[in-house]
Amino acid sequence: MIRYLSVSLALPPINRIEVIALLKSMNSRISLILLVIAVVYLILSYQLPSYAYTEVDADAIPKALGWLLVFLAILLFFSKDNETEEQRQKRNIPKKEIGMLLGVGALIFLYIFLLEILGFIVVSALFIFFCSIFLGYKSHIVNGIVSVAFSAFIYFIFTSLLQISLPSGILPL
Amino acid sequence: MGAIEGIITGFQTAFSLQSIFFVMIGVFIGTFIGMLPGLGPISAIAVMIPITFGMDPTVALIMMAGVYYGAIFGGSTSSILLNAPGVSGTVATSFDGYPMAQRGEAGKALAIAAIASFVGGTVSVVLLMLLAPMLASVAISFSPAAYFALMLLGLTAISSLSEGSTVKALISAVAGFMVVTIGIDAQSGTQRFTFGNTNLLDGLDFLVIALGLFALAEVCTLILNRKDKSIQNAHKIGSLKLSKQDWKEMTGPMSRHSIIGFILGVLPGAGATIASFISYITEKRISKNPEEFGKGSVKGLAAPETSNNAATSGAFVPLLSLGIPGSGTTAVLLGAFLVLGVQPGPLLMTDQPEIFWGIIVSMYIGNIFLLILNLPLIPYIAKILMVPRPMLISLVIMFSMIGVYAISFNTFDLYMLLLFGVVGFLMRLFSFPAPPFILAFILGGMLEQSFRQSLTISNGSFSIFFQDPIAVSILAVAALSLFVPLISKLRKGNNNAKKKH
Repeated sequence: MIRYLSVSLALPPINRIEVIALLKSMNSRISLILLVIAVVYLILSYQLPSYAYTEVDADAIPKALGWLLVFLAILLFFSKDNETEEQRQKRNIPKKEIGMLLGVGALIFLYIFLLEILGFIVVSALFIFFCSIFLGYKSHIVNGIVSVAFSAFIYFIFTSLLQISLPSGILPL
Repeated sequence: MGAIEGIITGFQTAFSLQSIFFVMIGVFIGTFIGMLPGLGPISAIAVMIPITFGMDPTVALIMMAGVYYGAIFGGSTSSILLNAPGVSGTVATSFDGYPMAQRGEAGKALAIAAIASFVGGTVSVVLLMLLAPMLASVAISFSPAAYFALMLLGLTAISSLSEGSTVKALISAVAGFMVVTIGIDAQSGTQRFTFGNTNLLDGLDFLVIALGLFALAEVCTLILNRKDKSIQNAHKIGSLKLSKQDWKEMTGPMSRHSIIGFILGVLPGAGATIASFISYITEKRISKNPEEFGKGSVKGLAAPETSNNAATSGAFVPLLSLGIPGSGTTAVLLGAFLVLGVQPGPLLMTDQPEIFWGIIVSMYIGNIFLLILNLPLIPYIAKILMVPRPMLISLVIMFSMIGVYAISFNTFDLYMLLLFGVVGFLMRLFSFPAPPFILAFILGGMLEQSFRQSLTISNGSFSIFFQDPIAVSILAVAALSLFVPLISKLRKGNNNAKKKH
């Protein structure tokens, strides 16, 4: 009974193979995503307000671009994958490395979030220190010296020499 | 003001103490960043932009030009020493430079590269001095329709010449154009795609795109390759001396490829990468002993090195005289011009001769510095390759962040930077080239303006694009640039099919 249920819940076999065959190529999958982007962009373009006395209004170019993307996405859907083996290999990222990328992304996010709260020197020093450790740098003393000295040096260059003020944050500068 | 007076002004500007100092800094930093694996001239220029705020625009731009050709040269150093080109324009350099270094002649290879770059750079600056003013005086009478056609040509050329699929390159260009439509429309004041967010009213800053798509995306690749040990095994430099025989072998390729490289640099879409490959291939084809190529041939190293430096000067021709960049790198350079309030184009030569000629003349000084800097100092500069990868990655990320923050003082732009970093990395993974994106982003505003101006002049009739003979011929070339590679691809496919049968 359970087996029967699971079979009936799945897609009919022929349909499924067809769908898989169509979506097997990377190009067709990407082109579907691009089509979605193009449609959303087009919907927004058609909602742009228009004015009476303009020959070409602000919506002309966006509409053209949207339709152009639709056209190119369709072209991509039917074009063969002629990537080299090397290009394909690039996508073979081990799970652990994806974690690394996401981790660095999260650190960057924290950096941005804390930048105006804690100030440039503190956040940059912490970022360089922890990001380097996270990526496998072992010598903590060198790391500590470099991260603090570097952040302070950059802060000085920007605020004093280039007259660009960076957030000073919690430090009494 | 005549050309002679202009050149004199240029010499006065370029030979001021301040300019000489900043050319040196620009070339040095460019070499430094270009040498880092993965970081090319686009990242180098983008990172340097905030530093130029508040500087005299002439001096700032002279420095930026130095960063550009310095970065190309720096790339060849890592190509030779590590077989890890920092810049795509120096991939061809590694073909013969790396084997030469493996033989224990790294010093010789670096010396050949430095001299070839110097010759290529210097010869092409002479050509730039002749061609840029000529083109500017022609371009001054171009109609908006002709400008529209020119920019379209830039986009189609870069798309058809990009590595891999042309369709993907075109998609990349359309996406770049779409991103630039965000913000208040400059002509009607309509808010487009801002979603009521005040941060988006002015649109996205080009530094967000340049640093995101290039620097941050490169960081992702660096993270994945951080355990690559080749860096630690850099070859010993050895003697920098060249024999008489070497000199003799170099003269031929250097004189040929200074010209070829320059011409390819002027053409839209081509630039240093394509120039260096074409030079390498032609040199191999005309060589009496092509079997030496790829095994450390002097000619095989001198040809692409001359060519990529000649192409960088060539790329300044359309940038300075038309105001239209032909490549991703010059597009970012145009961004740097605009940040400093300088609009390159046919009027630049007459309105601000000190900038126009100052940049050109400063390239002579820059090339000399490149030679001085690189011959004796290269073993020391190459030490940067020993910086541990994790530290390097953290520093590059931080530099990209300050670059954007210093322009907007706004964390919203930093989140956007992160977003475009992800987009740039995904584009790399799925083989969508990024240069068409950045070129379209930078040209987009001007492209839309000239398009709407033309149609306003003609009361909405598209015939305006076909009445102007200049516009028609450029549009025809643009169409050809898309279809010729397609046809040749099809023909190749047919030939292959025939061979199989």
